[in-house]
Amino acid sequence: MSYPAANVLAGMPSLSKLYVNAAATAAKSRVLGLNSPMTLPADCNEVRGVLADLAKMTEYQHLLGKAARDVMPSGFIHALAFPVAMSVMVREEFPLPLLGMIHLKNRVQHLAPVLFTQPVTIRSWARNLTSHRAGTQVELVVEVRAEGSPELLWRGVSTYLAKGIFLPGVDKPAVAGTGPDAAHGSFTPPDPTGLWHLGVDTGRAYAAVSGDFNPIHLSVLSAKALGMRRSLAHGMYLAARVLADVGSPKPDAFSWEIAFDAPVFLPAAVAVHIADTQTDDGVWVSSQFVGWNARTGRKHFSGTAAVL
Amino acid sequence: MTAHDANHSGTQHPTQNPTSQGATPVVRTRRAVVVGGNRIPFARAGEVYTKSSNQDMLTAALDGLVARFGLQDERIGEVAAGAVLKHSRDFNLTREAVLGSALSPETPAYDLQQACATGLETVLGLANKIKLGQIESGIAGGVDSASDAPIAVSEGLREVLLDLNRARTLGQKLGILARIRPKDLSPDAPSTGEPRTGLSMGEHQALTTAQWKISRQAQDELALASHQNLAAAYDRGFFEDLLTPYRGLSQDSNLRPDSSLDKLAKLKPAFGRNLGAAATMTAGNSTPLTDGASTVLLGSEEWAASHNLPMLANLIDGETAAVDFVHGKDGLLMAPVFAVPRLLARNALTLADFDFFEIHEAFAGTVLSTLAAWEDESFGRTRLGLAGAFGALDRSKLNVKGSSLAAGHPFAATGGRLVATLAKMLHDRGTVEGRPARGLISVCAAGGQGVAAILEAR
Repeated sequence: MSYPAANVLAGMPSLSKLYVNAAATAAKSRVLGLNSPMTLPADCNEVRGVLADLAKMTEYQHLLGKAARDVMPSGFIHALAFPVAMSVMVREEFPLPLLGMIHLKNRVQHLAPVLFTQPVTIRSWARNLTSHRAGTQVELVVEVRAEGSPELLWRGVSTYLAKGIFLPGVDKPAVAGTGPDAAHGSFTPPDPTGLWHLGVDTGRAYAAVSGDFNPIHLSVLSAKALGMRRSLAHGMYLAARVLADVGSPKPDAFSWEIAFDAPVFLPAAVAVHIADTQTDDGVWVSSQFVGWNARTGRKHFSGTAAVL
Repeated sequence: MTAHDANHSGTQHPTQNPTSQGATPVVRTRRAVVVGGNRIPFARAGEVYTKSSNQDMLTAALDGLVARFGLQDERIGEVAAGAVLKHSRDFNLTREAVLGSALSPETPAYDLQQACATGLETVLGLANKIKLGQIESGIAGGVDSASDAPIAVSEGLREVLLDLNRARTLGQKLGILARIRPKDLSPDAPSTGEPRTGLSMGEHQALTTAQWKISRQAQDELALASHQNLAAAYDRGFFEDLLTPYRGLSQDSNLRPDSSLDKLAKLKPAFGRNLGAAATMTAGNSTPLTDGASTVLLGSEEWAASHNLPMLANLIDGETAAVDFVHGKDGLLMAPVFAVPRLLARNALTLADFDFFEIHEAFAGTVLSTLAAWEDESFGRTRLGLAGAFGALDRSKLNVKGSSLAAGHPFAATGGRLVATLAKMLHDRGTVEGRPARGLISVCAAGGQGVAAILEAR
């Protein structure tokens, strides 16, 4: 496949600065009444020589409650690469406002184990700007390679929704959208295989290990400022937690995907069900998972992890 | 369709066939015998043993055993015991109890921990050493206190304290101290939750109980039988040479001789209320948190004879199993369902060859789910790899002196209670149809584990 041209950044962008810039951009366009561009940037942002911070990785692993190995957890690679994806979304020519975007789903191919000592090149670009019945959705692609190697190690596609933003000229999707408004379908919770008690500090704790200080996750006040009634858990925290529960170590190459439904307002009791498929010899093939509000039965997320 | 089918439709699992995965019969160089046992009465948590530490209670049980069998200054081959809830200062709990006892200080000891199977596993480990001729005598045991449980400082405070210990300058120390936040000051108490699922043991069992469609009434009946059997055993003086009073308690404080089905039926469900499963498990048909300790004296025939000690039973064999409970392939407490068929197959026995069954009553639902699985044709075929159901046991032989629902369950102490109780029952029965009376013990444990053992009368 052909790649967009690379716009190589000098170093890893700071997420907190990106959030400040995003807020400033939002204010500026509101004040000046600027019209958003209607197409995505054609090139990709790239950062070379990225090295994980071992202390941060250990904190991340311990937050998820599993043994800390030297191989980077799949969700941690997402967190490591996230500033590059965000740097794409705050570019002036990016047509959607970053703040308030809703995480709809993630698809990841984890093609090989990545040690924390491995310097990597991270590349990210946006694609598939499409209409959603609640707004406009966009996909952010992230690719991770060993520094100086063409071989792909990790590839993630995150789908975000800018709620209430309708861009002229953007095609309607062929299929019905997923996400918050599709969550009201009939869902009967199965028997749980696990129960997560998520405290009010879950968002702050994940922000501290992932660097994702999006205000909607940090506190009731900061969430209210962005129109949420309470703070909510990061989608990537839920994904990482369920991946940890699916089991480890996983095979060298595996894929996973998760679709988010009703947001998890904190504090919360999230019930999960994980169903494994194995070969006749007991070798893991895949796991289906679903998480829901243990009290109300509303679905929060569902997805799959499978051997590649 | 069976409960098992309902839960596993469309998925193939390898079986835990009793003959294909078990060890081959061992070469038994000699016998290991149960000489006797001693425990302190078990007390509900927060009652008479509230201020008693694991060290206190294990020492009390050991003192009673030493006194009963005249072991003062005796150098025992090895003492093995453990506790599930253990303070870090008790890293050498058993050796410290030995040093504080009347046993020879030259008696070695080790700690063992296998959740609720700790006590039975100490018996099996020492019996194996005796069989192999490595030791002549052994004392197995276990203790637990839910009242005097270790409480850790929060993770945040713990990290601060550890960093502070490593700091060299005053500036570094002040910087580290400044990291303490109010929430760091709240303590971290142990919980009964399974680390990998976040579900409590009761919630796990509630799922299994519902899966096997065990009724509330069947559970209450089992709980009632436990109280009635234990009360009758006390009335007949059965525990007189198995128990040493402690802190003014001379029988298990959880025992309710006047319990009734009506009283049990009035209790509200305690587990499974939020799980979508039918809620049938109450405080009455679940074991309470309990404090207590138990010990068992083991020896070679030669050692027991030379010390003029009784020989109640032979420890024939033991088997441990584990299940993949994390995503619900099997129930958390269902490992004995696999351990027992393997153990019996290795010893060419069936359930019909036993005169007593001691199935630990973690919950009434655990015992009844275990029996249901053994009686299930489909489970026998698909999971045990047998031609049909493993079999049904004669309920009149089950937990005839009461079990954990009545006595309580100080986690690591239960194995010692079961072994000493069964050994005495077997010795009292003597022979059945020309063969020694035979008994089976099965104990489930956290982490999806289970241990089973066979004893025979002498």
